[in-house]
Amino acid sequence: MPGWQTFYHELKDKNFEIVSVAQDTGGVKDASPWIEKANPEYTVLIDEQHLVTKLYSMVNVPTAVWINEQGKIVRPNEVAFVDDQFKSYTHMDSGPYLDAIRDWVAKGESSSFTLSEEELRKRLTPVSPDRLMADVEFSLAEYLYHAGHGPEAIPHFKEAQRLAPDNWNYKRQAWLLSDADRDYGTNFTKEVQKLNGKPYYPPRQMPEPSNKPN
Amino acid sequence: MRNLFQLVGLIFLGSMANEATSQVRRVVIYDDAVTELRTPPPSTQSKDLWVTLAELTRATGFVVKPQGVCRNELCFPLPKQRKADFLEQRGKVTWFNLSEFARLVKQPVAHEEKLAAWCFGPRPEAQNGYLATLEAPNFTLPDRSGKLHSLSSFRGKKVLLITWASW
Repeated sequence: MPGWQTFYHELKDKNFEIVSVAQDTGGVKDASPWIEKANPEYTVLIDEQHLVTKLYSMVNVPTAVWINEQGKIVRPNEVAFVDDQFKSYTHMDSGPYLDAIRDWVAKGESSSFTLSEEELRKRLTPVSPDRLMADVEFSLAEYLYHAGHGPEAIPHFKEAQRLAPDNWNYKRQAWLLSDADRDYGTNFTKEVQKLNGKPYYPPRQMPEPSNKPN
Repeated sequence: MRNLFQLVGLIFLGSMANEATSQVRRVVIYDDAVTELRTPPPSTQSKDLWVTLAELTRATGFVVKPQGVCRNELCFPLPKQRKADFLEQRGKVTWFNLSEFARLVKQPVAHEEKLAAWCFGPRPEAQNGYLATLEAPNFTLPDRSGKLHSLSSFRGKKVLLITWASW
């Protein structure tokens, strides 16, 4: 987050905003310490119900979407780290990604990093009935958890995880709310090991930066 | 939303305490809003959620009209041959089968039987609607001081939307 603040500071006078949304069932209590530490100037919102995860069919954090001045998506979901702290998970450098954003901010739609409608339609596909069902199981589980029925929430969190096996948000959030090993028979470290070298984040499909933006 | 959850939690626990004398109050989560139903369920073998017409409107915003089940511009006609699957008159009360309606409009539903809670998700057309226009789905969420912000209020600027989490 401090990295994004530096980046925002560089671009904020160029008609550019960052809207950062915490996907945290624990809400302000869980998200606030991170926000206070970085004290960013950009907008940071708290999303207890993981609405953005559902609306945009995200499966992981951090995930970024580029949205143009007309409110249209010009690059959909992809991993977005501001530094290389988690490179062992991403297998990608953050530098070229930040340069791509700079290029977009400078050139707008003529940036080679914005996608054509055709390409966007290839990447943005309708959600499956299973994913819709997973979302609603997750919502019910969150409600039960907040209503003081943690144990009753667990089968619904598990059902969400079963229906959307690629959704790490639904796994990691549920594991955090109880004892993952006891209640889910697994934990984050074990699940990452099971990937067996497969990337934790889907690789970005992005052209090599040709020339530095002006 | 946190306050809403807490409030509902208290009502929920309160109703649990009364369980010995009355049934668990039924809870409907619709469009992410939580509504507790005040009427006891009608006696039926079905696991479907039957609600009164007033409760239907209170929990979902939908109203039963001659042309169908409507909310604002949106109207879903009920199949003529199957009206009885959706509506049932018992004495002075008309009951509506919200589970059957969800099947009709292809809405996903999750159910916690023991705690009498039902959660209804978006129809596939609603979820996937943005694919036609490629418009970024709007949302309104609080910052940590509770002030609400909508994505749409950033129109006219380029926006990098980033999700993150503490976990």
